[in-house]
Amino acid sequence: MILLQSHSRFLLQTLLNRTQNLEKGVELDHHWVEFDDVRYHIQVSMKNPHVFLLSVSLPTPSSETIFVCGLPFGAIEAIKAAYGNLVQILDPPRDGFNLTLKINLSKLPSNQEQKHAFLVKVASVREVVLGAPLRVVFQHLAARTVAPDMDPVVALVHRPNESFFLFPQADKVTVVYPMRFNDSIDTVLATSFLQEFVEARRTAGLNNTPPCSWSLTSPLELKGVPSDSLSANAGFVTFVIFPRHVEGQKLDRTVWSLSTFHAYVRYHVKCSEGFMHSRMRRRVESLIQALDRAKPDLEKKISNNRSFKRLSLKDSRTNSFS
Amino acid sequence: MANTLRLYLTCIRNTLEAAMCLQNFPCQEVERHNKPEVELKSSPELLLNPVLICRNEAEKCLIETSINSLRISLKVKQADELENILTKKFLRFLSMRAEAFQVLRRKPVQGYDISFLITNYHCEEMQKHKLIDFIVQFMEDIDKEISELKMSVNTRGRLVATEFLKQFI
Repeated sequence: MILLQSHSRFLLQTLLNRTQNLEKGVELDHHWVEFDDVRYHIQVSMKNPHVFLLSVSLPTPSSETIFVCGLPFGAIEAIKAAYGNLVQILDPPRDGFNLTLKINLSKLPSNQEQKHAFLVKVASVREVVLGAPLRVVFQHLAARTVAPDMDPVVALVHRPNESFFLFPQADKVTVVYPMRFNDSIDTVLATSFLQEFVEARRTAGLNNTPPCSWSLTSPLELKGVPSDSLSANAGFVTFVIFPRHVEGQKLDRTVWSLSTFHAYVRYHVKCSEGFMHSRMRRRVESLIQALDRAKPDLEKKISNNRSFKRLSLKDSRTNSFS
Repeated sequence: MANTLRLYLTCIRNTLEAAMCLQNFPCQEVERHNKPEVELKSSPELLLNPVLICRNEAEKCLIETSINSLRISLKVKQADELENILTKKFLRFLSMRAEAFQVLRRKPVQGYDISFLITNYHCEEMQKHKLIDFIVQFMEDIDKEISELKMSVNTRGRLVATEFLKQFI
């Protein structure tokens, strides 16, 4: 798996299981956490097996990110647009969560394909909620306008207490990610990965992709942003998104990949470390073998140089009686 | 490039062959103790002159000899930050497994990346020329491993970047 999938696999499995055995009353109460501190909770009670309660908690926003009623702007509209009247938003949400959805499983479309598509859509609720502001900005970009009430700099949360920044303009949107890593090894690997992004953009086949740049210091656009949210130890990545990147079908993919860019880089940094470890383990084994070769093979010598032959019982008898 | 490496390794091999004539030598201060003199440096008459072999400023090898023990310290080249991290990670990984290697020192000598300590006991239970083979092979392998690790990081980075950007086409 190179690219991150937008649906939560566990949630999708649970939903599919649930819809297949809808008549059977089951008590479900699961909590789990996904990358970037997105937490889920699902609940199904014995009394109403058709009602599926799904609660989502988002990463804590940093000070510059604006949340409306505990959700990124545009999220409520995005949920309504994505799920229609099959899903009801409960207000207030469950304690400790940003959003609680009530899904009536008995009202799902009867067509198998449509049903599956809808369940996948429910399982990718994080894409809908966290990507909502990006979607709003990009829809304006596709129409080549800027939303009238939009700030010149939009901060969007993508990790606990960390944001990335958008600069919407009529003909392009600049997206800036401050890249932070806790570990010094992660930082170095990520830095080399990010430089590869800039390099890869220059190859012939990728000419139409968003221009990408990487720098250690913050780009000029971020001048007005408070400096404590600009401490990035792996530099800043900037993508410039043009209307051609958000046309029609591409919008969903662009929103998802931009809202999880940090997680994507981080995931591959970790994979690369895992690969290095297994490689080093193999190398240690081969070096130990090389050292073992230096030891004289004692046992082998003994068996080869044996100069006497022990007589077996049978041999000794024949010898003594003959 | 490969040629200078061979010269460097040959020089180390010859030096080791000359230096590795160790004998059993009990400690002079404490009765019934037997310690590697190169570590203790208690009496100067038991130590020989250390030999420093340099390929360039970043790559060098220090061979310290005494009557009953020999210490080899290596400094591996680190051209950039990525190589630096990879070297550190790999050599730390090796040092943590020093038990399995017997001749590896748990901690490198100051200013070096990795050290070996060979005592007369090691020379008794292992064949001397094969032990030298091992040291030389070890040095070759470290260089090879680090450059391969670096290559794999770069290749993966390129692939990851290309896949990400392809989504926008």
